[in-house]
Amino acid sequence: MEFVRRNRVLLTAGGLLLISLLLSSVSIRSQPYRDPIGQLLLDAMAPFQVVFSWMGRGVGRVWSGYIDVVDARRDTQQLHEQVAALQSELLRLGELERENARLTDLLAFRSRLQGVAYGAHVIARDPGPLAMTLTIDRGERDQVRRGMAVLAPQGVVGQIAEASHTAARVVLLTDHNSGIDAIIQRSRARGIVQGGMDGSCYMNYLNRDADVVAGDRVLTSGLDGIFPKGVLIGEVVDVSRRHRGLLQAAVVQPSVALDRLEEVLVVDATAQVVEPPA
Amino acid sequence: MRAAAVIALVAGFGLLVQTTLFHALPFGFHPSPDVLVVVCVFLGLHRHTVGAALGAFMLGYLQDAASGSPIGLNAFGMVVVYVLVYLTCRRLWVDNLVSKIVLVFLASCVKAVAVLTVSALFGAFNGEWGPTPSSLLINAALAALIAPPLFGLLNGARLPEGRVAR
Repeated sequence: MEFVRRNRVLLTAGGLLLISLLLSSVSIRSQPYRDPIGQLLLDAMAPFQVVFSWMGRGVGRVWSGYIDVVDARRDTQQLHEQVAALQSELLRLGELERENARLTDLLAFRSRLQGVAYGAHVIARDPGPLAMTLTIDRGERDQVRRGMAVLAPQGVVGQIAEASHTAARVVLLTDHNSGIDAIIQRSRARGIVQGGMDGSCYMNYLNRDADVVAGDRVLTSGLDGIFPKGVLIGEVVDVSRRHRGLLQAAVVQPSVALDRLEEVLVVDATAQVVEPPA
Repeated sequence: MRAAAVIALVAGFGLLVQTTLFHALPFGFHPSPDVLVVVCVFLGLHRHTVGAALGAFMLGYLQDAASGSPIGLNAFGMVVVYVLVYLTCRRLWVDNLVSKIVLVFLASCVKAVAVLTVSALFGAFNGEWGPTPSSLLINAALAALIAPPLFGLLNGARLPEGRVAR
């Protein structure tokens, strides 16, 4: 009896283990086993389980909402990054499109020229107000030499003032050191197009009785041995005729936007325009 | 009486949480830590009476009834856990938090193994279903994690008589 009293917990547990095994055996082997206590318990727990399930779903909804917000925030961030990348791509494509258009124009212009011509990129501009020059990425290595004409699809740009091995400096037609033998397209009146100190451009040495009016187009004459004949220089915007003297002068607006130039053609003295401007 | 009421309340609450709340949580997986095994470990640690052994059996029986598993499987597992914890704490001093947490982890593993063994013994488990070892360990770890607050609640059920009937 003392043994039973001292070990009653273990003995009870042993009995319960046996009962458990017996129950397991019965319920596993005689499916479906209907347990009356289990059914009672199920009925008793059902209302509480409804409440807890409802709470669980509530917690689930709150958690899902939080996750959705986090996901939405991440998606927004990704979309912002995509928009930035696409805008950058759009900018790059726009630049490529514009460059393509410019090069197409240059190529079309090149096809109107006979003789040696080299394409070049403008890589620098003179920052000072006195000299109107720019630098291109072609030099003596590419057969570019001092005195060669520099043209753009819209007309005359200037001429090479000096050439190094890999680059060359171009004096623009608006520089005061520049001089181009030119003619008025309509009346064939001859003069010299020179740059002014203020960055403007003049056609000087026109005969006083020469027929020049605003709107006349000014072309290269080809007589200076530098520029091919018939290349557009610009358009007369004003005529200045003094009371006295043998000559008159015209203010010329260059046809090339010299401050926005990016690509040019360098041509030598033998080049000729096959098809003059209309 | 008060102790039995507190234990019954915690066990009932644990059973409800275990069968409903954990399954509704949208964490991508459904953790199902065995809350009742924590109660069983508590009984094995602090309640050394015939009533406590019966209580452990009842915990498993309730779990069987609520979960739809064959009656007796979890009851067997719970009684095994109770006996092992009872024998362990008779020989080892298990009264600090860390050792209790470790004990709950081991008890959860032992119970799962006991249930699987009995299932296999009676042909209810043919190896094609059942918990994977990783999910078993995860649930045991979760049970160990929730053990400290549950022990805190159950400590209200520790009566002045403490351990009785060695």
